[in-house]
Amino acid sequence: MATRQAPSSIDVAVTLGNARPLRLERPVTLASGPLGFGAEVADLVDLRTVGLFVTRGVSLAARRSGGVPRMVEVPGGLLHAVGRENPGIDAVMERHGGAWRGTPCAVALSLVAASPDEMTRLLRRAERRADALGISAYEIDLTAPADTLGGQRWERDDDAALGLIVAASDATNRPLIVKVSPQVVDIERLADQVGDAGADIISVSGSTIGFLPDRTRRRAALAAGFGELSGPLLRPLALAAVAAASLGPRGGGPSIVGGGGIGSPADALDFFAAGALAVSVGSAIWADPGLTGAIVEGARRAAASRGLTAISELSGSALATRSRRATLAR
Amino acid sequence: MGAEPATAEVLAVGELAPGRLALQLRAPHLIAHLRPGHALHLVRAEAGGFRLRRVAPVTMVDPLRGMVEVGLQPRADGGQDTLADIRVGEQVVVVGPIGQPIPRLARTTHLLIVCDAEGFAWVRFLASVAVAEGRSVVVIQEGQSAAELVSASLLPERVEIAMATADGSLGLHGSAADVFANYTTWAEQVVIAGSSGLLAAVTAAARRRAPVAARAAARKGATDLSWLSIIVPHEVGCGSGVCGGCSVSTRDGSLRLCREGPAIPGADATAAVGGA
Repeated sequence: MATRQAPSSIDVAVTLGNARPLRLERPVTLASGPLGFGAEVADLVDLRTVGLFVTRGVSLAARRSGGVPRMVEVPGGLLHAVGRENPGIDAVMERHGGAWRGTPCAVALSLVAASPDEMTRLLRRAERRADALGISAYEIDLTAPADTLGGQRWERDDDAALGLIVAASDATNRPLIVKVSPQVVDIERLADQVGDAGADIISVSGSTIGFLPDRTRRRAALAAGFGELSGPLLRPLALAAVAAASLGPRGGGPSIVGGGGIGSPADALDFFAAGALAVSVGSAIWADPGLTGAIVEGARRAAASRGLTAISELSGSALATRSRRATLAR
Repeated sequence: MGAEPATAEVLAVGELAPGRLALQLRAPHLIAHLRPGHALHLVRAEAGGFRLRRVAPVTMVDPLRGMVEVGLQPRADGGQDTLADIRVGEQVVVVGPIGQPIPRLARTTHLLIVCDAEGFAWVRFLASVAVAEGRSVVVIQEGQSAAELVSASLLPERVEIAMATADGSLGLHGSAADVFANYTTWAEQVVIAGSSGLLAAVTAAARRRAPVAARAAARKGATDLSWLSIIVPHEVGCGSGVCGGCSVSTRDGSLRLCREGPAIPGADATAAVGGA
């Protein structure tokens, strides 16, 4: 029988990746999008309860987006189309970079590029000031549109996505997080491949594509038409993707961050159990700014009650009791 | 988020406009800060499931009762959400006010408001306050049919109401833009609130047939369209200006409805709603 530990003795830090490790003091990340670029975040959330803040998507040049509505509520979720609007890498670093330095958590810049060449130029621009601004890592957003795919998401084409990751990996020595959605056709294989291409961490937390007519059914509910779907309705889908991705790496592959509709400490425990080493919190933080702290405490207590010494030992607990492949029986 | 959250008891739940809820909340601590255009960011205190904060425009205040009324849109699919079935006596967690007051031009007495059922919640408080200030107020309402129009009883008696319906079932058989033409020699300030079609059509009409205030301003050399404001209803987002969910394009970049809005200056109306 396991010895019950005191929750306060549980190690909450996790190290993601191997070749270019990213140490998080807490296994909770704030997803790219809901909390902007960073300058205002500390007013909204206690960043001492967060391991990693991921900025909104940043591109080489400014990106404008369409009209409103950009967000509508759907049963169990949120449909949104912000279009990765941002003022461009230089303006983002100028306006928000000062806030990144000295934050009590790591900061990752989420990068949006329409081609590998653009990714290279974007990263070179970011790298010039990354040390001074305290950028710890980069997120490569494979749910963003690719020029070479006619505006479809990078994750729709493995070869194109891997080309983007190689371009990024060649341009920096900082840890690379690759973000995908649960809509990836074969995430088990992709998780293997992105590791080979240079990714250190795979974040299975992206939104899927969604569409909803408005009440009149004479037009789409979102001004942009199609949108991105997130929230609790995605949770079982996201958990399946996290579990599958955790089976993919052949040892030493990318670490997994899991997310999708996390709104409580119990939800986060599900993602740890499915194989995530850290969890990603999205729009639920708007309603509950204390959620990240509650997740850390919940995971700490769960680990203690099982006689573990670290939250990281919770990872994959639901897959470990039998043959991992048999457990999934897909 | 931003300001400190506070709980408020639900005093009454009713219908504000067809398909739109009105929540009356006991929130005396907020009343002194509230102006037309302000909204509250709220979530049901003990809701299960997905707890998404909603942006709810302030539609009325009653200082004697310590009551604040807000309007709520149902979810986009028309189904139930966590706030739609809220009951009297329950608590909501409120942050606010968010946004900026709708600018009211000094030395003007004639205020023209144009709205549909979607925009009504954003201008009801404005109509009441303007009347209380001694201004003359006309509200033009637009709907597909009489069933889509808001009850006149929700506005002060001194507000003149004009209506237009697409099927001709009540008021003018036509659009709010058609009715607008009747008030161009009267209006000194124009505020338009509602769906994108209404905003585009009435903004275009207003710019084609500038009201009396615009002509007076033009005689003095002003070209800033300060007599015109548009309001784009928004209901979901962080309420803090960081998520980008309510940004609209303007001449100088973008404007966040939850922070700098909800009123968009007339000079930015074309960029914001397009087609105007």
